[in-house]
Amino acid sequence: MSAASDAVGADSVRHRKRKRGQPKGRQADPASLAAVQEALGDMPRRRDMLLEGLHRINDRHGCLRVEHLTAFADELRLSMTEVYEVASFYHHFDIVRDLSTQPPALTVRVCDSVTCAMCGADELVESLQGKLGAGVRIQRVPCVGRCADAPVAICGQKPIPAATMERVVDAVTAHDVVPETLTPVAYAEYRRGGGYKTWVECLTGTRDRESVIKAMEDSSLRGLGGAGFPTGRKWRLVGKEPGLRVVAINIDEGEPGTFKDRYFLERDPHRFLEGVLISAWAIDSHEVYLYLRDEYAACRLLLEREIAALQADPPAPLPAIYLRRGAGAYIAGEESAMIESIEGKRAMPRLRPPYVAQNGLFGLATLEHNMETMHWVRDILQKGGAWFASQGRHERKGSRTFSVSGRVKRPGVYVAAAGITLRELIDEYCGGMQDGHELYGYFPGGASGGILPASKADIPLDFDTLQPYGCFIGSAAIIVFSQHDEARDLARNAMRFFAHESCGQCTPCRVGTVKATELMGAEHWDQALMEDLSQVMVDASICGLGQAAPNAMNCVIKYFPDEVA
Amino acid sequence: MAAQPQDVQRAETVRFTLDGQQVGAYSDETIWEAARRHGVVIPHLCYKPDQVGLRPVGNCRVCMCEIEGERQLQPSCWRKPSEGMKVSSRNERAVHAQKMVLELLEADVPDESYVADSRLDHWARQLAVGKPRFSRREEPQPDLSHPAIAVNLGACIQCTLCVRACREVQGNDVIGYALRGGDSHIMFDMDDPMGESTCVGCGECVAACPTGALSIAGVDPQQQWAWQGQESEVEE
Repeated sequence: MSAASDAVGADSVRHRKRKRGQPKGRQADPASLAAVQEALGDMPRRRDMLLEGLHRINDRHGCLRVEHLTAFADELRLSMTEVYEVASFYHHFDIVRDLSTQPPALTVRVCDSVTCAMCGADELVESLQGKLGAGVRIQRVPCVGRCADAPVAICGQKPIPAATMERVVDAVTAHDVVPETLTPVAYAEYRRGGGYKTWVECLTGTRDRESVIKAMEDSSLRGLGGAGFPTGRKWRLVGKEPGLRVVAINIDEGEPGTFKDRYFLERDPHRFLEGVLISAWAIDSHEVYLYLRDEYAACRLLLEREIAALQADPPAPLPAIYLRRGAGAYIAGEESAMIESIEGKRAMPRLRPPYVAQNGLFGLATLEHNMETMHWVRDILQKGGAWFASQGRHERKGSRTFSVSGRVKRPGVYVAAAGITLRELIDEYCGGMQDGHELYGYFPGGASGGILPASKADIPLDFDTLQPYGCFIGSAAIIVFSQHDEARDLARNAMRFFAHESCGQCTPCRVGTVKATELMGAEHWDQALMEDLSQVMVDASICGLGQAAPNAMNCVIKYFPDEVA
Repeated sequence: MAAQPQDVQRAETVRFTLDGQQVGAYSDETIWEAARRHGVVIPHLCYKPDQVGLRPVGNCRVCMCEIEGERQLQPSCWRKPSEGMKVSSRNERAVHAQKMVLELLEADVPDESYVADSRLDHWARQLAVGKPRFSRREEPQPDLSHPAIAVNLGACIQCTLCVRACREVQGNDVIGYALRGGDSHIMFDMDDPMGESTCVGCGECVAACPTGALSIAGVDPQQQWAWQGQESEVEE
């Protein structure tokens, strides 16, 4: 009822403004308004719920019809253009201008990022043409975070590992479209194993803030999303900020080659949630936002279920926990872009300063962490900071979780010593190279971390060790390739990804990624021009996307010059 | 933010180095503003200090400067100087970025301008940016549906001055920024033709546009000026 009367109010305002003659521009029609209200249900009509509202309408109607968006703008008392600019930013929304262009009922998404492309994504897309019927469309999409199973297709919301034409056709025919069922350590089981005790010890004074933060500092744990900011120091800094503080957790894992966050979330979600609760306590925060990429549909169901179980029977009073859903945008994994997205806006990175630690979500001091960083908190507090720090190799400290994909026998997620070399990682964990494949090179940090040749397979892999080589480890996504692959093709795939995922805000990235992709298509690369372009992207882009986008291109010039001369 | 008579009396409380010269800045001033008071006009496109209400957003990246000790270049329209900061707006690295940004933008706009003094062309000339070495994007179709305002997004550099003029200065909120990456573009309401949108034709966006992508309908380009010749006396 109140929603309907709000809409009438917004309508009358608009008419009042233009009482002379016909109102100009689109008007919300009653049928669309009713459809939108029905789809939104009891969702609060707030600006920060814009993205959530778009999901509800898109889920209900299979697309976003422009007349529904017009009605939704009225319903939220926003301008049409603010709704449209958000809706059109995110790739998981289909905006439909007239019903004849409504998308087919079923979408099969085929990942064509680095590892999947190496493993035959193009051939898969080709083979599927004309095989799936009229009610199905095939979409090429960026990394879906399942690179160990490349090539991957997603039928509706059901992942198809090692996808072949036959498997995709079978899934479509069987209408196998719902997310896979996950069987994690569930709430009761986690509690039985001593779960949430560490958090309760914090709340009841058995542990004090200073000792907890000290343990985090001693552990040498650094932010595992890729930037590597020391975790303990971040808690100390945000804890000192005046005013209200909020926790925001980044589960927008989207760096091509990375699937470690999904790995931990699918198996042990409460270990992660306990880490989040401890971090909220450490900075005296009473609100927690979890931002999950939309590609991880099964994880969303799992998190909804397990958070509900925790809230139904909490071991101690909980902070408010809000699970927010991304909508297909790699850039939303950038820390300030994620905050914009949670606020219901286009995920465009903010200019710094101010830093999100001081002025982040809703203008509050914000503790933002990668999901995996929180996964390790409980273990570090129980076993001590020294335990975590002691795990390194080759003079490095701590462990790293490597997502390994490509031409190795056993791709997957491996927790190994920080500082391990690629050769050790392949031999000790991945069962060696695939038969018939010799190591030719590797991406040490996903699409953005550059490319190294086989001759650099004995460098310790960790934060700070790869910079001298023009690379970084980032989220520790290792993509291994062989003599059957060309570094230039993989580098161009990475650049095409960045062009696809650039937010469009700043010139060096928006225009630079497009121009670089074109230049990289030439048989002989114009290296002088690429160098000029690379420098402005590195120096002048607003965020890490544009700054890191040229890494792979530069590495091809540096380490694989024969391919592009 | 524009200098008002009463501001002239304010004390410069921050001392920093700009291109080797010791200069003072007011406590709330950006590097760009302080530089201009001291006679240095740093190239700028998405920033229009002389039209009231248009806040800086630092997206075009043509006003980049180097700050000693910082890894990335910084937009001078956004950053404030701090005591002892060493800023270079004219060293090789800063000028390289400024020129490359201009070259990237020039690559995508048509040879013929829609106004007599496109700010993009102006700065490209000032910095001696040659013929762009990049291929041109597919030129967007003109939108001549509005009786008063011509829309030629071929000339658009996506600085979003028009979005701020429409949304924040006039409160009309008709202009927005659609899609993303290379597909992103300026649009009206629900990406509608301007003439069918809720635009009331106030003209604030035309006044803000630095390149004539938004211009007065039916008037010869040579008779139209971006930014009305403002700033020319300080720049030349």
